Amino acid sequence: MSVLIVVLVLLALLVRRAFFGYAKPDREFEILVPREVALIETTAEVMFPAGGAIPFSGLDADLPGYADRFLSAIEPGVRRQIRALFALFEHVTMFFPAPGWNGGKRFSSLSIEQREIVLQGWSSSPNFARQLVFTALRAVLTMGYLGHPEVLRRLRLAPYAFDSPIVEADLLYPKIGAHPDMIALSEEDLTPPSDGTPVDLEGPVHHLYAETSQEVAESPP
Amino acid sequence: MSAPRTIAAARNDGLRVYAQYDGDFEEEADVLVVGSGPSGAVVAHGIAAAGRSVILLEEGPPFTPQDYEFEGSLSMARTMREAGLRRTEGTILPTMQAIALGGGSLVNSAICVRPPAFIFDQWAEFFELEHTSREVLDPHFDAVEKFLGIAPTPENVQGRRNLLMKEACDKLGYSSEPIARNVRGCKGSGECFTGCRARAKQSMDISYIPEAMRLGARVLTSVQVQRVLHEGRRATGVEGQVVEPLTGRPGHRFRVRAGTVVLAAGCMATPVLLQRSDDLANRSGQVGRNLQFHPGVAVAGIFPDVVNPQFGATQGWQSLEFLRDGFKLETLWAPPPVSAVRMPGFGKALLERFHDLPYLANWDAIGSTHRSLGTVKARRRGMKPRLKWNFHHEDVKILTHALWVIAELFFAAGARKIIPGVMGLPPEMHSLDDARVLQTHPIKARDLISAGNHAFCTTRMHGDSSLGVVDEFGRCHDLDNLYIADTGIFPRCPSVNPMFTGMALAHRATQRILESL
Repeated sequence: MSVLIVVLVLLALLVRRAFFGYAKPDREFEILVPREVALIETTAEVMFPAGGAIPFSGLDADLPGYADRFLSAIEPGVRRQIRALFALFEHVTMFFPAPGWNGGKRFSSLSIEQREIVLQGWSSSPNFARQLVFTALRAVLTMGYLGHPEVLRRLRLAPYAFDSPIVEADLLYPKIGAHPDMIALSEEDLTPPSDGTPVDLEGPVHHLYAETSQEVAESPP
Repeated sequence: MSAPRTIAAARNDGLRVYAQYDGDFEEEADVLVVGSGPSGAVVAHGIAAAGRSVILLEEGPPFTPQDYEFEGSLSMARTMREAGLRRTEGTILPTMQAIALGGGSLVNSAICVRPPAFIFDQWAEFFELEHTSREVLDPHFDAVEKFLGIAPTPENVQGRRNLLMKEACDKLGYSSEPIARNVRGCKGSGECFTGCRARAKQSMDISYIPEAMRLGARVLTSVQVQRVLHEGRRATGVEGQVVEPLTGRPGHRFRVRAGTVVLAAGCMATPVLLQRSDDLANRSGQVGRNLQFHPGVAVAGIFPDVVNPQFGATQGWQSLEFLRDGFKLETLWAPPPVSAVRMPGFGKALLERFHDLPYLANWDAIGSTHRSLGTVKARRRGMKPRLKWNFHHEDVKILTHALWVIAELFFAAGARKIIPGVMGLPPEMHSLDDARVLQTHPIKARDLISAGNHAFCTTRMHGDSSLGVVDEFGRCHDLDNLYIADTGIFPRCPSVNPMFTGMALAHRATQRILESL
């Protein structure tokens, strides 16, 4: 009986160590839970560190916000797979500890040096499955990092600002989810089609990527 | 002669979107077409132009520029099945199929290439086809070309990323050319994959489909066809459910009856639909078999000077020099987050590579890998396919050869380094000498970072009804009035981008359908 109690207590401690004790995020997320937010932030800190070639770190890029939007947009089956990927990364160090003192903690609780070593292990593993898992996690975070307007603006890769012509199809199709009666355009609103004038490389960027109010003013929606 | 219908009239009569479905419903037409991608749109237009009643069914919604997402993954989540994360089992190969009015034409780079005659000669030889030569199909290519304004990409929107390939090919003596595309007035914004804000790309939703509606076609969007109805040797219609855009949540049921049924749901969805319909049209046992792709490999080249890769036609230049060796070369651009996904490493080294993005050009090769075969099967429930596919070692050699040729081209054009994207090899190579490892290292299928978005052959045409699903006009061997008009009917991968060939075959099938009505 006492052995059973000891086992149960150890099990409870293990579950607590694995799944509880995460700091509450400073805002609400639609999909992400605190442990996923912690994993994404602590991975982003190592994946896209401060002081690198792009002076805007993974922590600055609000990758939990991106991941939450992405997971909200995809179907449940795929969402489950990606969340399983997060869970794997977060907890695998409890079974295969990171080097150094107390390396058997969940990933988000490791020191930054230990996290670097763990990611290095995944990244350079000769094991195909491990490389694949690492590549998948990096892909999700890269999408978020390089999708951030500030990063794209700094790289001068933000989308250009230009007006979309109004074509006949725009009189037919409502915005997704809306009723066709919501289309406010008529045939008088049609504009000449694109004449093939190239976008201006030095021109303003799209308003969603503009930095200042002046740029926003110059950049039509 | 009656006055031409206006677009406004087409809107009132022809189109139904999700918000308009308020209960179960039934419809009827001479012809119904399942799938509004390039092939389905051509058929629907042709039937409507002949004055016959036609209903075009599409599972996805229409997208307006307000619905486009710049950010690559969010765009894919909205426009692609399984959020763009679909992949094969066996050899893992990502593959994307669109779910939108206009199908893949909404989010592809508009490439329109006629396969050379030798490709069709091979089809004829191996699949007993008598009427599918390039010469026979040319009038159909011509008709589509004229309608869509297909033309070579103009030089003023090529951008440096595309023109560097021309320069490299010229230096090495390889033939190359601007890519012909269904685009009018390209601005070179490089946004083909997330939806053309310039409304220059003549995707089906702004070209064939509005014109078909003007001619009287009815277009039902957000409807998932789940079963083909049939009696004896005749298809009588289809049934399915309304699905909510973006979530796929099922709603009202519908049934559409028609004298002729055309399946153009795509190489993955059409076989599943047949399997879900009592294994229809499958006396040959070929439905869902013979799955082939054009697996692609891409190499990134980093140049000493700024390339400004975001400017220019998404894919503006190509070389058919190596087509007989099994691959086609092209330039490529995608939103930066997508372009960078394959960059190796992490931390400061990864940020250095991101920092090189303005100096980058991506060139790719698509392989004619007809030895690498797979299957498409319906899952126990739902309409999602289960894909299995295996890369044949001889086909891996084709892509390995292609990687070497791309490396040669990059260094000929003055690249200071390349990122070959091959697992197990150095992530960066700084000279052609470094790149020789591409010739000497035994590269395996799983070492390649590859994707296959052109898919074929799962309902292949064959002159012998025991070896194919349809005849060379797209009619199912087993039924009198069921046609298939998507890339699934290709007997073998066409070696070049398939949209144009699919449309030409669909144009020809339409004539045959009209003759049979």
